[in-house]
Amino acid sequence: MPSLRDLQIRFSDAVLATDGMAPAFARGDAATAAERMAIYRRTIRSNYRNALGATYPVLKRLLGMRLFNAAVDAYVEAEPSRSGDLNVYGDAFDDFLARYAPAAEWPWLPDVARLEWAIDQAAIAADAPPFDLAALAALPEKAHAGLRFVLHPSAQLIESHYPILHIWQVNQTDFKGPAEVDLREGGDSLLIVRGECGVDIERLNPGEAVLLGGFAAGETLALAADLATEAEPAFDLPAALRRHVANHVLAAFVAPESAIEERPR
Amino acid sequence: MTPGHALPVAAGIGLRAPHIGYVKAQRPPVAWFEVHSENYFAEGGPAIASLERIRADYPLSLHGVGLSLGSTDPLSRAHLAKLASLIARVEPALVSEHLSWSGVGGRHFNDLLPLPCTDEAVAHVCSRVAEVQDILGRVIALENVSSYVGFADSDIAEWEFVAAVVARTGCKLLLDVNNVYVNAVNHGFDAQTYLAAMPDDAVAEIHLAGFDARGPCLIDTHGARVAPEVWALYRSAIERFGARPTLIEWDVDIPEFSVLETEALAATTILESRDAIAA
Repeated sequence: MPSLRDLQIRFSDAVLATDGMAPAFARGDAATAAERMAIYRRTIRSNYRNALGATYPVLKRLLGMRLFNAAVDAYVEAEPSRSGDLNVYGDAFDDFLARYAPAAEWPWLPDVARLEWAIDQAAIAADAPPFDLAALAALPEKAHAGLRFVLHPSAQLIESHYPILHIWQVNQTDFKGPAEVDLREGGDSLLIVRGECGVDIERLNPGEAVLLGGFAAGETLALAADLATEAEPAFDLPAALRRHVANHVLAAFVAPESAIEERPR
Repeated sequence: MTPGHALPVAAGIGLRAPHIGYVKAQRPPVAWFEVHSENYFAEGGPAIASLERIRADYPLSLHGVGLSLGSTDPLSRAHLAKLASLIARVEPALVSEHLSWSGVGGRHFNDLLPLPCTDEAVAHVCSRVAEVQDILGRVIALENVSSYVGFADSDIAEWEFVAAVVARTGCKLLLDVNNVYVNAVNHGFDAQTYLAAMPDDAVAEIHLAGFDARGPCLIDTHGARVAPEVWALYRSAIERFGARPTLIEWDVDIPEFSVLETEALAATTILESRDAIAA
């Protein structure tokens, strides 16, 4: 008798097989077994189509049901699920679409996928305690340059050569207005973050994008601010900091060690 | 917070995303709710916050769909850690999983696949249940699954398999009456024989759902009202075991909440008629 593991491997092979043959491990007549096995194949395929359709509603609209489903089927084959939590499946769909030949004529699709994945992830990211303004105010001024700001766990930054926010907006089911997007509008620097009333998507100015990107990479305030001013000479650092503390994009800060040592005991 | 140690012996409803806003705002008179554990594995955000709010007013059962308990791959410690942290957060009355497997060789199908009914599979599942109960520090309930394909190598009946696992591990049973009916039709056995083999005391919860009869066999879609044949089987299950916490499940083409309430009311009628007989 085959072992349990062996039977599971054979069952798994039969789920993936497309020849419509009856698996040898199945009880009953071959035609019925083949037909029954196909139920698993169809159910599983449809579960992934539904799951990714819920994560990527705009891609589904852009591609249309048939193309979207074909892309999901090919993705499942290329990057099978490794987790029992279907909610975390689909993280590599952007890179997959970038090399998926049938989608090659729409080069902005991978970036739209990135945006939709970021929105999905922002909704389930960890919560963060309120920003400790009093602790920041208590720091000596000479410690400011070495501060490292920490972004909210839900905050994500996306850079695209395409107007992906506009593409995303005109493909919302409740969108009203002209649905045309001119690709010459240019690229987007986006911030996706969970706010009080759900996930927000914001377009960032070049300076802000560089500043927040610097914080995300763990750079100090001094370095991130220099880079931001380089990217946008008129960059207003105090205004940007105030805004992103107020809207919970900046969740915390880490003071340089010298400042901690100097704190009164 | 409502005491977390027992589900009310009454009809509950499987709570799905489209109804969360309504339940939070309206607090409908439902005895208890059940959710899919994996849908609340998130560390933060509005979904888990809503569940905590709802939990403050209702007893809750956590129903896992992704542990792949019967797989011969190692149990996912990461999955169990997330489940343990959710349990600590919402203090459910019951934690359940499926008597099935979902993938092998690292690959997941995210579906509930059938196990062969063999002594080896019984032994394997028992060791896994023991491992899970040990890690979580609590008894879990196992649900019998629907299936379409049987194994030529099965040498005991499905009901014997289920009863053996419960007897050997001391776990509870989440008896899905719809799945018993679906399998009775699909594999050609008498559903009453199945019920008769179930260990009465272990039945901690009952599931009811709708199937799809349009295909080559009955398909357990959770996308329709409970079928009349399943209501009849449920009635005989309640006569046999006594009243038990009973859940209405609906997962695809999810209807208005009132439809689920109507189904729950039908279960309540059967539960209360049993109470009347018992009294």
